[in-house]
Amino acid sequence: MFLIADRVTYTYNRRTGVEAVKALREVSVSVDRGSFTGLIGPNGCGKTTLLKLLAGVLSPDSGTVSLDGRPLASMSRRHVARRLAVVPQETHPAFDYSVLEMALMGRHPHLGAFQLEGPADIVIAHESLTATGTSHLAERSYMSLSGGEKQRVVIASALTQAPEVLLLDEPTASLDLGYQLEVGLLLRRLNRERSATMVMATHDLNLAASLCDTLVLMRNGRVLASGNTSEVLTSAMVRQLYDVEADVRVHELAGHLTVVPLGRLS
Amino acid sequence: MAARAQKLTALVAVVLAFFLLDAPLAQSRDTGSAPRRIVSLVPAITEMLFAIGAGPQVVAVSSYDEFPPEVKALPKVGALLDPDTERILALRPDLIVVYGSQSELEKQLERAHLRTFSYRHGGITTTLDTIREVGLATGHRRESDDLVSSLKARLDAVRDRVKGRPRPRVLLVFERLAGTLREIYASGGVGFLHEMLEIAGGTNVFADVGRESVQPSVETLLARAPDVILEVRAAGLIEKSGSDERDAWAALSSIPAVKNRRVHLVRGDYLVVPGPRLAMATEAFAHALHPEAFK
Amino acid sequence: MITADSAETDGTPLPRRTTSSSIRGRLAATILGFGTVALATCVLAPLVGTTPISLTRALDRSIPFDQNVDAQIFFVARLPRVLAGALVGSALASAGVVLQAMLRNPLATPFTLGVSAGASLGAMLVIVLGGALTLGPLSTVPMASLAGAAAATAVVYWLATRQGHAMSTSVLLLAGVTLNSFLSAIIMFVQYIADFAQVYRAARWIMGDLDIGGYDTLIASLPLVLAAYVLFAWLPASLNLLSVGKDAAAARGVDVPRAQRLAFFSASLATSAAVSLAGPIGFVGIVVPHLVRLLVGVDHRIVLPASALFGAAFLVACDLLARTILAPIEIPVGVVTAMIGGPFFLWLLVRKS
Repeated sequence: MFLIADRVTYTYNRRTGVEAVKALREVSVSVDRGSFTGLIGPNGCGKTTLLKLLAGVLSPDSGTVSLDGRPLASMSRRHVARRLAVVPQETHPAFDYSVLEMALMGRHPHLGAFQLEGPADIVIAHESLTATGTSHLAERSYMSLSGGEKQRVVIASALTQAPEVLLLDEPTASLDLGYQLEVGLLLRRLNRERSATMVMATHDLNLAASLCDTLVLMRNGRVLASGNTSEVLTSAMVRQLYDVEADVRVHELAGHLTVVPLGRLS
Repeated sequence: MAARAQKLTALVAVVLAFFLLDAPLAQSRDTGSAPRRIVSLVPAITEMLFAIGAGPQVVAVSSYDEFPPEVKALPKVGALLDPDTERILALRPDLIVVYGSQSELEKQLERAHLRTFSYRHGGITTTLDTIREVGLATGHRRESDDLVSSLKARLDAVRDRVKGRPRPRVLLVFERLAGTLREIYASGGVGFLHEMLEIAGGTNVFADVGRESVQPSVETLLARAPDVILEVRAAGLIEKSGSDERDAWAALSSIPAVKNRRVHLVRGDYLVVPGPRLAMATEAFAHALHPEAFK
Repeated sequence: MITADSAETDGTPLPRRTTSSSIRGRLAATILGFGTVALATCVLAPLVGTTPISLTRALDRSIPFDQNVDAQIFFVARLPRVLAGALVGSALASAGVVLQAMLRNPLATPFTLGVSAGASLGAMLVIVLGGALTLGPLSTVPMASLAGAAAATAVVYWLATRQGHAMSTSVLLLAGVTLNSFLSAIIMFVQYIADFAQVYRAARWIMGDLDIGGYDTLIASLPLVLAAYVLFAWLPASLNLLSVGKDAAAARGVDVPRAQRLAFFSASLATSAAVSLAGPIGFVGIVVPHLVRLLVGVDHRIVLPASALFGAAFLVACDLLARTILAPIEIPVGVVTAMIGGPFFLWLLVRKS
């Protein structure tokens, strides 16, 4: 029990009341150290919101999120950022930063208010780029990269935060099959070789099945089920989550569960 | 057949003659009767109208008219930027005095078959000519001629008074941001202010500039180093009183005018209207520049 | 396994970027370089003008001040003007950088959020109603424009923070655009009811004027600009992160609402001070940041101080052109910056496509 959300609730636009959306209702989730947890559910189920609450980017209206026993609210933003890093779905910087500059931004929580990064920070940044196979792109402009390269650079910049937990929001959503595979393999490697705890929000069930050991299934801002992937990912659950009839079975060659949609229930 | 051709020719001749005779009546298109209902959008011409005895014929004036006191009771119909055409027409005028640049308004009024008098802005000669034209247009020719003669005489008198006296280099300021040296507008070498200054025995420090108004920088003021600074203000603007205003110039202490304390402030709307009171304005300038000549 | 991707996307090699040299070194070099340029410009500009003066004579203490025209031209006419140009140019350029980062939009200017429209309205009201409306210290154009700027800032802040602590950049932009339109309409109306001379004065104020003729207004603006700079000092690292995204910045330890407030108020303060001193001089706040980025890259820790220094040099140079190029006629400095800014952006556009 490492990263825990305890009955958290969150409503968007709560203050103005206009278009207020209750995204999460009394959600509790517990992430074990070193695990690879997937947050699964249809669009609008609240998985992105939950991810942001777990990362400390948003504060819950009620309930608490704690890391290793300490509530995130009791830690400074900087402190939280030293331990939790987020890989967003898309990153569009407004200016033409280089890959190395993007990677170095992850060092921010480790630097003082007026401190500039030193040689040690640059080494860490280069290491992260190497870990994601992008070190040859260090001097290139981030905006000029392909989708797969960009996503790997963003993962690298999350790694430079030297976090204990990596939270990813639909990391392969905008990538083609080849890049999906690449990024997937990278994430698995990071999880296994670095013992990085991973929490990934995705609607790609097969990706989740291939990478995650634990799944949290969500719908309409609530948790439907959570537990080991092999136990939780069933065609009954898929039916409940998506109103879709699907075949769920272990694929011989892939070595993990696969989900093949067959038809939509009315 | 010949008789019929003759009649036709005569008819054509009469029609032609009618049109030909009708054509060249420049500003007055009617048969020459004096206008009885005059609307004036130009304060300078309002003053002229009253000065030549056409005051009783004026039925409305512009929003900026202040002189003579009689105009205060008259209805106001807007000015250069916002003439109230409806109101003007509702007054059933037979002569409307407009600015030369108000061409749209002029066209509108002409379409309504109304007579207009177009004001030309210029120096003293233009102003005196305008007085004559106004006299002609309103049937007060004699009075206007008399007025012009008397004005000329007064101007000549001023010239004589200051003749032979040393002519100081004068900076003639007609606008400035109160209390500061910013947004200074001075008279250039063209226009009635410049001409009045020259008659009054001063040399315009910007005589070489071919424009009516100059916005000099602080550096230019220091470089031109006038002997006298003459500040002209229309009355009615709320500013700090005289001596406070002159203090603003203290920073430019190398200017002879500041060093020798020859900074004068003259107030009055007669100073900025190129009309019948320009002789009075010229006399005021001369008093400020050459006080000893009037002892 | 993971292999290297093909580098080029369309066959043309993409530009190399120099980021591996240490940032400390680059920051020091930038400040030294741009600082020298700024200093040199400020020292040389008062020596140049329509009237030839001799520096030795101007600095000659033995001649009484009121007999030393060269000294008066140097110290009363030119030096305050150059210092004002440096202050205003620096303030506007810095404000531009900060707003562009905060709004995540390289086309943002110090005037995007309506601060300058508020200042213009304040100035206009005093110019037109000044006689009829005495409001104590607010009766002067600089004070009234400062008050207008402050009011506009407050309105935009209120609009942008209604939905929570963090400011939504889209709401901010929208609030700024709305306020600009609304205030422009009021300004037009005020001009309509004004008389001809007032309209001319108002139009002239909008073109910008650095000829302050003394040090009073400069000294009055100085504390505001310095306060803005103190606030700016806390921003550069946060600006980098904010310009990538609000959530990304929060995830990296930035207190986003605080950083946004800091950015918003410091930029508004600098802009208000600049506009109330010299009128709304355009293009400085967008040309300088762009030029600087072309020279030193996009890291705000370098771009912000570089822009502050280069902005000073830029505006002083523009004012120098304004007062000498068509001598003895002076072009308003806002016209010069516009004439440089317009073609510059055209060139940028052509270059990009």
